[in-house]
Order: sequence, then structure tokens, then C-alpha cells
Amino acid sequence: MRYGAGPEILRDITLRLEPGSFHFLTGSSGAGKSSLLKLMYLAERPSRGLISLFDRDIATTPRREMPALRRRIGVVFQDFRLIDHLSAFDNAALPLRVAGLDENQIKEHVTELLSWVGLGDLLAAKPPTLSGGQQQRVAIARAVIRRPNLLLADEPTGNVDEELALRLMRLFEELNKLGTTLLIATHNRSLVDSFDHPHLHLENGELHTERARKRSVL
Amino acid sequence: MFRARLDLPLDRDGSVRFLPWIVALMVYLASLALASTLVLRDTVARWDRGLTGTLTVELPAASVGGRDDGAIELALKVLRTTPGVVRADPLDARRTAALLEPWLGTDIDAEDLPLPRLIDVETEPRVGVDQAALGQRLAAAVPGAQVDDHRRWLDRVLRAALAIEIVAGMVVGLVGLAAVLAVIFATRTGLAVHHGIVEVLHLIGARDGYIARQFEWHALRLGIKGGIAGLVLAIATLVGVAAAAAQVGAIGDAVRVLPALSAPAIEWALLLLLPVAAGLVAMLTARITVLRALKRLP
Repeated sequence: MRYGAGPEILRDITLRLEPGSFHFLTGSSGAGKSSLLKLMYLAERPSRGLISLFDRDIATTPRREMPALRRRIGVVFQDFRLIDHLSAFDNAALPLRVAGLDENQIKEHVTELLSWVGLGDLLAAKPPTLSGGQQQRVAIARAVIRRPNLLLADEPTGNVDEELALRLMRLFEELNKLGTTLLIATHNRSLVDSFDHPHLHLENGELHTERARKRSVL
Repeated sequence: MFRARLDLPLDRDGSVRFLPWIVALMVYLASLALASTLVLRDTVARWDRGLTGTLTVELPAASVGGRDDGAIELALKVLRTTPGVVRADPLDARRTAALLEPWLGTDIDAEDLPLPRLIDVETEPRVGVDQAALGQRLAAAVPGAQVDDHRRWLDRVLRAALAIEIVAGMVVGLVGLAAVLAVIFATRTGLAVHHGIVEVLHLIGARDGYIARQFEWHALRLGIKGGIAGLVLAIATLVGVAAAAAQVGAIGDAVRVLPALSAPAIEWALLLLLPVAAGLVAMLTARITVLRALKRLP
């Protein structure tokens, strides 16, 4: 994969995430973690190669069917990408509204989830008034609100203290137990070591397996 | 005014604040063009109705001094024996002179001029009259007699009216095109300004229609808002023109230069549709612009 006419960011990567698996993705800054995630959450197209999601070849999937695929993916962006003029509640509710859910259901789910991540008192707060950690929790709530089949998180615990990081990781593990496939990109080596999950390492645009409990990486 | 829930802060965009003003100007111009067309069409229709079923027979001028040479009686005899003629009344010298008064003034004695003698003829509208045959019979009875059904004049007026209608239609078309271009520009600017939010919506699975709806509702609201402002201005202008027309009419019908705003009320109701039309055009344009732009996203 390359951006425009720039150098190749990722090359010769073959990766398969088994349904229900949990992987960490590590690598130094600029190694291509975010680019790999972008390919997986369908924000970029590969310059060559094949991406298959939920048994669908992305290259041959009609454009009108892509939103349905995207709704099965939850994404925690590194820079959160919250919508500043919407409240924490409305930001977290976006995937449900986009999917056309009933407002009563939305209210119930979103309030419950935001309370769980410790933002029950900040439902009406706008992102610019929230701290980095609070914004990150809203971003995580938005990513998991629809209980996605695949959750891709780019440094999801980068702005929170260790205790909250572990609490959020437990949320991810709960989701994983419910069947969500997870890939979490992180710099936090101690966080990776705290959990017994396979670990993919990106270096110079190539993917290596450091420790694999499940057979998932080639 | 109706308000849809927007994920995009389009209301706060400085880039689209000019849009209602542009739409207002467009609707103002379109309203005046449409009003002109309505007035013109109604005026021409009234002339047409007024002249249908009438003929004017023109006899050569008698010698100066108005000495009767019996030509009028001969012509009347022919006319009154022609099938389809309901009435034939010769215009006396005073009425003939009155027709010339706007051009010659009141100081000239028409008796001193070699004016043609005119006979006002009313015909049965449904039956009609064979004008060519009547002309031949009249010419045989009174050499130089001519029949005029005003059609040639009215045709010229109709052609002129049609040309004005076409020009007015082109004005409305150009105004609409300019409005469409303004909406395209504003929508593209909005897409560029809110690219980040649009991309987030796209990535969390929003269909193109969901994102387009945000822009189209906003464009509809701005279009109707601007349209109403433009219509109010246009109505004020038309009321002013009507007042001026009434004032000129009061001075004297003969020098009436402005037509009365006399089209039927139902036609004037068309003007009320212009703000709605402006809103719908803005809405549709925004939708198409956004859908085309979103197709470029993966």
C-alpha cells in the first residue's frame, strides 16, 4: 500500500484474523499500524493485493453494499474524530442513528454505555469541553455501541491512566467474549504484556508475529 | 421553520450565509419576469377577445368638407345583406376625429382633413364571415373599400408578446441556472469544510443518501428562506408598479403606458410557488452534488 506516488508503506503482508480472535498490533511510530487499520476499516484501498472482510472480497463488493460492511466494523481512531458540535451522547449514538434505530432504543443503549465508561454525568457535554481521556472514552463508546463483529482500535488507551486503560481493556475483552474480533494497535508494551493475546508487530512495512496464542498470522 | 437534526454543523457555515441572499435576488428577478409574462399574456388575450367578431370597413375619404357621396349607404347595404353580420355602424366624423386626437390634438378640425370613413362591423363569432368575398363585394360597390379584421395587427402583437415571453423565460432559466451554480459552489464548500465529519459518517456506515440528506435539508431551508425574501421584495415592486399604472391611468386612458396587473388570481398564485421551487431546486442540486462527491470516497 502506498499513498499517491509516495513510498510503499506496507508490503507483502498476509494477515488473517479468525472470527472471535483478539490481537495486539505493535510497531514503532511510522511503521504503518494506522495504514494497516485504514485498509481494514475500508478508509483506503490497497494499491495491490486482496482484502477480504466477512468472507467478502472488497474489490468486487458493490459500493452500495459497503455501508452494511462498515456497520459491522467499530473503529477507535487515534485522534478520536469526534464531532465537536454534537454532545457526547450524540457522538456515541451516531452509529445507531446512521443505522436508523429507534430513538428510545438509542437513548437506553447510549446512556448505559456512557455511564459504564464513566461519562454518565457528561452526556450533554461537547467534545471540546472534555479532557483527552474523556474524549477517548466517547470515541470507544461510539466504536462499540453497535457491538461490531470487528473492532479496530488505534491507540485506544493512549490518553487514559493505567486504571482506566485496564478497565477499557476489560470492556474489549467482554466484547471479544461476545464474539467481536479485536485488533488493537498500541505503543503500550506493558499493556500488551498484561494480556495473553497474540501480538502482531509491524516493522519497515512488514508484519511479524511475536507471540501467537491462536493461529492467525503468516 | 422546519429543522432536521443535522450531524454536520452546516448552520454555522460562513460559506453558505450568502446563499439565501443570492436565492432572494434570483427569485426577485424570476418573479418580475413571470409577472411581466402574466400581465402581457392577459393583456393580449383581452385584446384578442375584444377584436374577435369585429371588422372595420374602411372607405376612401370623401372630398374635403365631408360631402356625402353615398358610399357609406352602399357599403352598409352590402354589409347588412351579408350572412354572419350582426351589426354595422358607421363612425361619424366626431368619433373618427376622436381616434386621431392622441396624435393630432384637439385644435384641428377633422372636417378639414381627407379622413377615410370607417364602419364598425360586428359579426357572429361562431359563424364568421367570408372576408375575401365580402371585400370583393364591397370593392365592387365602393371602389377602394377595404375590410380589416385586425388580424394582421393582432398577429404582430402576438409575435411581439411571444418574443417577450421567450425572453422572460430565458431570464427565468438563466436565473435558475445561476441559483443552481451558487448552490453547487456552496455545497462543495460545505463538503470541503466538513470533510472530516463526512468521512467519519462514511466510515461508520452512513449511506450516501444519509449524508446527502443533511446537505439537502439545509439547502431546502436556505432556498425557501431566500425565496420568500425575494418574493416579498418582488410583490412590493409589483404593488409599486400597479400604483404607478393606476396613477397614469387616472391621468388619461389614452396615454396609459403601464399595463394594469390584471391577470387572474390563480395565475398570480404561481408567484407564490417560486420560493418553494427555489427551495426544491436548491435541495435537488445539493443532493446531486453531494452524491457525486461521495462516489469518490472508497
